[in-house]
Amino acid sequence: MARDRNSDVDYRGPVRRVLLAVLVLIFGFLFLIWRIDSPRVERFRNAFIDRVVPPMDWAMAPVTKLAGMISGFQSYARIYEQNQELRRELQQMKAWKEAAVQLEQQNAKLLAQNQVRLDPKLTSVSGVVMADSGSPFRQSVLLNVGARDGIVDGWATMDGLGLVGRISGVGQNTARVLLLTDASSRIPVTIQPSGQKAMLVGDNSAAPPLEFIETPETVAPDDRVISSGDGGVFPAGILVGTVVKTRDNRFRVRLAADYDRLDFVRVLRSHPSEQINEAGALIPPPAPPQPGFTYQLEPGIGGSGGGDG
Amino acid sequence: MVDPRTASLWGYRALFLGLAALIIFMGLLPLSALPSAWPLPDAVLGYFPDWLYPYDWPGFDLLLVLTLVWVLRRPDFVPLLLVALVFLVDDLLSFRPPGLWTAIVLLGTEFLRARESSTRALPFWSEWVMVAMVVGAMSLSYRLILALFMVPQVALGAQLLYVLTTVAAYPVVASVTHYGLGLYRAAPGEVDPWGQRL
Repeated sequence: MARDRNSDVDYRGPVRRVLLAVLVLIFGFLFLIWRIDSPRVERFRNAFIDRVVPPMDWAMAPVTKLAGMISGFQSYARIYEQNQELRRELQQMKAWKEAAVQLEQQNAKLLAQNQVRLDPKLTSVSGVVMADSGSPFRQSVLLNVGARDGIVDGWATMDGLGLVGRISGVGQNTARVLLLTDASSRIPVTIQPSGQKAMLVGDNSAAPPLEFIETPETVAPDDRVISSGDGGVFPAGILVGTVVKTRDNRFRVRLAADYDRLDFVRVLRSHPSEQINEAGALIPPPAPPQPGFTYQLEPGIGGSGGGDG
Repeated sequence: MVDPRTASLWGYRALFLGLAALIIFMGLLPLSALPSAWPLPDAVLGYFPDWLYPYDWPGFDLLLVLTLVWVLRRPDFVPLLLVALVFLVDDLLSFRPPGLWTAIVLLGTEFLRARESSTRALPFWSEWVMVAMVVGAMSLSYRLILALFMVPQVALGAQLLYVLTTVAAYPVVASVTHYGLGLYRAAPGEVDPWGQRL
């Protein structure tokens, strides 16, 4: 037995070392390719996820439901407080509802006067969140709609209320949404009512910070933050959240979308803005017919046509 | 007829693969898209420094801890190719730059694997320190290479926290592996039930 073991060791060590070197080289090469030609490798990744994740759906759905039920059950413990809280909120909401109805009537009147048409381009595709990113450092979710449903990279997604993120990676049946909280997410926003432009920069926290505010004095907590549409990628005017001020005097955004329970997500079809690629060309006067060239029907065609008639 | 020792070897390899698949699967569950908060009361969080501010809890890398624990218990059960497969799939599914973390994990596990038999006589805390140093070196090199290639990456605080929690989880996973699965560090010269040296 011991001899067996020794003979094992004789060849196993070098083979293992060569294998390790080869694997590390392959993976290093893969990383390099990813860095050089990211879209191609990401397409491969999307195709891989497209194959792997949807078949897991049957197992994921019950576990997710069960976890939801457990957290629902935990909230039964606080049901009395929640009831009180909801009653209070309901009172406030009633007041708001009155205001909203009045505003809606006013808005309809004004729109009719102006003959304004709301942006007809904004239609949407709804998708269900299938899976999480699986890593604490990447904030993204996987939707069950993909290239099959006409989803295109870069489109905005929102839940019922606010902006959720942007499509980044489309497979045949799945699409990945890069959430606003991801460290690589940058969204141009406008802060209302001051109209300040800023960037919403994801940093892996639940409330992403606002950067590049020109005059921070005009921004106050509870201001509304909406997407600004700068850069032409995102439609303008989608609610993002409200401003909060942190202890270190920076502004962060409490997101309007309910990230804790993302089930259904709407992907907004946005059509690429018209692009002007060429400089204005010279517009010459229409060229006169060239001398010596006369256009005439070939006798065979003309003759056969006549014969048929 | 399959030799019982071979059957047990491949059984444990399958078990590792199953556990890894389970960990990846649990990570993919769409429970909440919010980064989770620290599992600490607000009164304690009030004393935290500002650079840690949003107090988000990256959690620990259970897959990595499990692999390291198994490599230092029974290196035969987690062969090189299995580690490569599991971490490559994890790389692809969790949107990391593909390949880099896998390569670093391979180097880290091979480093530990080479020292498995020579450190058997050492007490647990020295094993823990060794693992902590390896995990730290792995994270550091990962960060450095990403910085070298100018790939955007997470804040330093979050990564430090991640290393600390991962190292802190090591004894827990080790004891669960010991008492739950019966995998413990072999004593010097210990033999398995079939008389072969471990």
